[in-house]
Amino acid sequence: MDRLKAIADGKHVESVFHEEVLQEDPVLRIVNFNLFYGRKQALYNISMPIAKGKVTALIGPSGCGKSTLLRSVNRMNDLIDSVRIEGDMLLGEDSIFAPGVDVIQLRKRMGMVFQKPNPFPMSIFENVVYPLRIDGERNKQRLMQVCEQSLRGAALWEEVKDRLNESGLGLSGGQQQRLCIARAIASDPEVLLLDEPCSALDPLATGKIEDLIERLKGDYSILIVTHNMQQASRISEFTAFMYLGRLVELGLTSKIFTNPKLKETEDYITGRFG
Amino acid sequence: MVWLTGGMFAIACSMIVALLGLILYKGLATHWQRSFVFIPLNNGELEAGEVQSSQPFNISRQSIGSLDEKSREKAEEILAGRDQADSTQLYLRTGNYDVSSRHFAFVPYIAMNIRPDDLHSGKTYKPEEIWLLERREWGVLYGFPSRLEQSFAPELDSRFASLKVLIDNLEPLLPAIDASSLRTSASPDLEKEWGDLLDAFATELRAEWEARLIGGKASGDSVHATVDASALKSAVEESQRRQSKLLDQIETSKQKLGRLDRQLSTSRIGVRKAEIHDGTDLQSIADEATQIATATSISEASWLEWKASIQAWKKLITQPDQLTQLERIEIAAKSRFDDELVPLSSTLSEIRGRLQTLPATSRRAIETVIEVTESASRLQYVLNLQIARLEAGLQTEALTLQVPSLDWLGEFTRNGTKIASTNGASFPQKTSAVDVGSELAKLIGLDETGAASTRSFEQLQLGPTQSMLTIDLPTGIKRFWLADDIEKKLTRVAALREKTVLVSDIVRLVEPNRLGMIGKARLYAIRWGEFLFGQPREGGIEGGLFPALWGTIVMTLIMSIAVMPFGVIAALYMREYAKSGLVLSIIRISINNLAGVPSIVYGVFGLSFFCYTIGGFVDGGPIKAGFTPWPSSLWFVALMVTTLAGTGAFFLAALGSGSPAQMSPFRKRLARFGGVFWLLCLIGIISLIVKSPFFNGFYEATLPNPTFGKGCLLWASCTLALLTLPVVIVATEEALAAVPNSLREGSYACGAGKWQTLQRIVLPYARPGIITGFILAMARGAGEVAPLMLVGAIPLVTELPLDFEFPFFHGSRSFMHLGFQIYSLGFQSQNSEAAKPMVFTATLLLLTIVTLLNATAIWLRARLRKRFQGSQF
Repeated sequence: MDRLKAIADGKHVESVFHEEVLQEDPVLRIVNFNLFYGRKQALYNISMPIAKGKVTALIGPSGCGKSTLLRSVNRMNDLIDSVRIEGDMLLGEDSIFAPGVDVIQLRKRMGMVFQKPNPFPMSIFENVVYPLRIDGERNKQRLMQVCEQSLRGAALWEEVKDRLNESGLGLSGGQQQRLCIARAIASDPEVLLLDEPCSALDPLATGKIEDLIERLKGDYSILIVTHNMQQASRISEFTAFMYLGRLVELGLTSKIFTNPKLKETEDYITGRFG
Repeated sequence: MVWLTGGMFAIACSMIVALLGLILYKGLATHWQRSFVFIPLNNGELEAGEVQSSQPFNISRQSIGSLDEKSREKAEEILAGRDQADSTQLYLRTGNYDVSSRHFAFVPYIAMNIRPDDLHSGKTYKPEEIWLLERREWGVLYGFPSRLEQSFAPELDSRFASLKVLIDNLEPLLPAIDASSLRTSASPDLEKEWGDLLDAFATELRAEWEARLIGGKASGDSVHATVDASALKSAVEESQRRQSKLLDQIETSKQKLGRLDRQLSTSRIGVRKAEIHDGTDLQSIADEATQIATATSISEASWLEWKASIQAWKKLITQPDQLTQLERIEIAAKSRFDDELVPLSSTLSEIRGRLQTLPATSRRAIETVIEVTESASRLQYVLNLQIARLEAGLQTEALTLQVPSLDWLGEFTRNGTKIASTNGASFPQKTSAVDVGSELAKLIGLDETGAASTRSFEQLQLGPTQSMLTIDLPTGIKRFWLADDIEKKLTRVAALREKTVLVSDIVRLVEPNRLGMIGKARLYAIRWGEFLFGQPREGGIEGGLFPALWGTIVMTLIMSIAVMPFGVIAALYMREYAKSGLVLSIIRISINNLAGVPSIVYGVFGLSFFCYTIGGFVDGGPIKAGFTPWPSSLWFVALMVTTLAGTGAFFLAALGSGSPAQMSPFRKRLARFGGVFWLLCLIGIISLIVKSPFFNGFYEATLPNPTFGKGCLLWASCTLALLTLPVVIVATEEALAAVPNSLREGSYACGAGKWQTLQRIVLPYARPGIITGFILAMARGAGEVAPLMLVGAIPLVTELPLDFEFPFFHGSRSFMHLGFQIYSLGFQSQNSEAAKPMVFTATLLLLTIVTLLNATAIWLRARLRKRFQGSQF
């Protein structure tokens, strides 16, 4: 527990990486990333690679900065005035935080799904093709094709194919969340960011979403924040454990859950604290 | 506690219900036709009118002091020694303002010579024959129909009028005709001979006219009421149709005259514009040119009349020597007009010659004036003649009624017997003058010796001592009032006063006591139709309120168009773009407080800012608006500098766009400075425009008459837009705040920009709220009166702000407004008692409009809300 105490005291603590992680081909690299809300620092010197075509889960106790880190990836934190950052992230070879980066183009290369389903007050069809609409796509055929493809990708097509023109708000919670996933993959993103996508859903809907994530991996690189340890162990290849704004340990999920390098990680996973 | 709160709630509810109920009842009742009753009074007099309501009457020593003896006795009976007691009085609408100088009367029950209950039972006191005339002037007239007098006016026939031109204008030509020795050889007395021809033609026309008269009872050119009066009614209705045709023609001609007047004044304004443009003084030459042009065209027009007259005569006459005479007359007339025209045209060409020295614009302006004046005054001449002819026609048909006002004729000794056995006796009874009683016959002017000629008569007993005697005389049906004095064994006799009205003055003829429920309902609908779509009469007390309704609608629409973009865009900035902080909070609080500023303050501001400053600026440039213009060179330099600085500041401010997370503090500060400086430059440019030495207003030529520099529709709409701006801003802000942040984030995460998110997600979601706020603002604006009193609402207009005349929308016109109408009718009109019904109806109408707007808001909100929450699109 010395490590956690050191972190709590604000001392610098090195993250522990498993060697399997470093062998992977990364789609996204986080490099010495610090984030401040005004004067208060929320993320401390985080560096980690995100493996391409794999699912990486972020776990950790509440307030450890998982969501903040996730939201930094597509620069959603820009919307908050008081946020200041240091360090950088690299999407492929492209810097995310370098001056002059077109945030809008950047966000188009990533899809994001939020904790609470947030379908737009439009028809199901318009919800899915929204990313294309804002790019000015007018070709009806292409829109239809993308819509079907994304809905099939999100395992929703069979349920809604007869009512594409009805409001997206009329769907059930699980369906709404899958609709949001369909919307997120409609622009064919390089990275899919999932911010506790199942926390507002019942177990059945959660199961469906998890199946969906199973199916999506390979095609997409997925970064998922979750509170649910079982979920992380079920769906992810890699797991990162965070604590008070620091990355503590990152490794293969199977190893993290069965044989972590650090005792602190084991304690958290077995529920001894957090 | 529940009792206290519940009680308060009940009080509040009942007050609202009472207010609405009163307005609803009074407003809806206004156009309902009530029965007309006759009330014999204790003092022998007669009171008559439409019963409006019963009201409490307090009997006290003071209030009965002015009553007659018998009424006082009744009062004493009720008082029974006390100081005061409660009784009732009837509130009557008496009409006949021009006869009796009043619109309304109060009749205490104790002054009636009958039991008050008897008034409502049976038809005795509700004379079926009574007519109600709604008139163009003086309000309603109640009376018994007596006769319709129709006189023959040959001038109404256009052929006759044309023929008469020659006779009327022959006199000045006679010397010329004499010189051509026409008179001596062919006819010694030309005027008489041709006059006789015209008379013969008139006699022909008269025969045609008589054949057309209804009833054919053309004794002395009048149709009088037969016993059933229905023939008279149809005669009056026929006459009304004729007269309304005449009125229409007059109206059309007057409209044409008005248009000509406007053309003339436009051309004069053109001269003024040219003066300003060229710096010339054209007033005297313009006056001279106008004068000559007018004289020329009048001369030409009257020559055309002559020619038409001669053509008409050519058709009428047959004998060759008369034709020769006609030719001579034509030649004489022609030469006379030539004598008139030649000097005029030479003067005109002399003026045109003088014009050559003037600058082109001035020359064109004067030429336009000459051209317009020539064509306009020719038409004016013709139209004026026509109007005079038609107006003579209006005088030809008049209806005489006997109104319930008594002219006492005298008294005669009663011999104990009544004139006839009265009520219920079969009518008409035949009687001779002697039967009526010689004394009575003398009093009422019946010919005693004409005993042989029997007359129909009817005597209707009204109350114990009074009766009405109806006699069918050759000059029409006459009614007399007989009041018996039992103690003195006398009967006093009065004639119902006669009142003659022109048929053209009658808007509507109603028989109030003959109407059944269906008839009343029909009349009610017609009156409401007139109220909604008709023009006001009698200063708005009667007739319609269409201009006020229209003014309210147009003003509200313009206001909405003005307030909507401002309010929504301001709210968008405050909610979506502005950085929250102290400044924004202060601004937000200020806007909320603006909603509570008394509306008259907005009126004062509107008057001084919109009307006098902006309006004055539009009319006559900076000087008229009260600013001193700068010297032109300094002004020009200042404009250049400000524009350049402003452009620079704009680019500086553009540095601030982009992601704030990446920005260096110096760049941020620089951008903020650029924004502020840019705003300053903008203000500078605006104030430079205000101080411009090159602008003298768009309506300089019409000064000192203001065009936009006074209260008018445009400024009233702007003032109300300002007044309702806080409502729109607050509602829009709230609607924007209610958009869930998750939607915004979802949109941004899809790669949408700020504006795309606003446009595609935020605004559609906030639309129900925005529209609701907007409609509430409209309702507030429609119901607002106080500022309008200062910025353009007036009690009576002749021109609508939006009509079919180019350019259709006239923002510089004053307008009528329902709310203002309530105020001006109720408190400013000379006869507020008579205007009271109209006040209630106008209130009802205004409330209806506001309620409709609010209901639309609620409906729209519910509908749009459902659209976002339900599953259907």
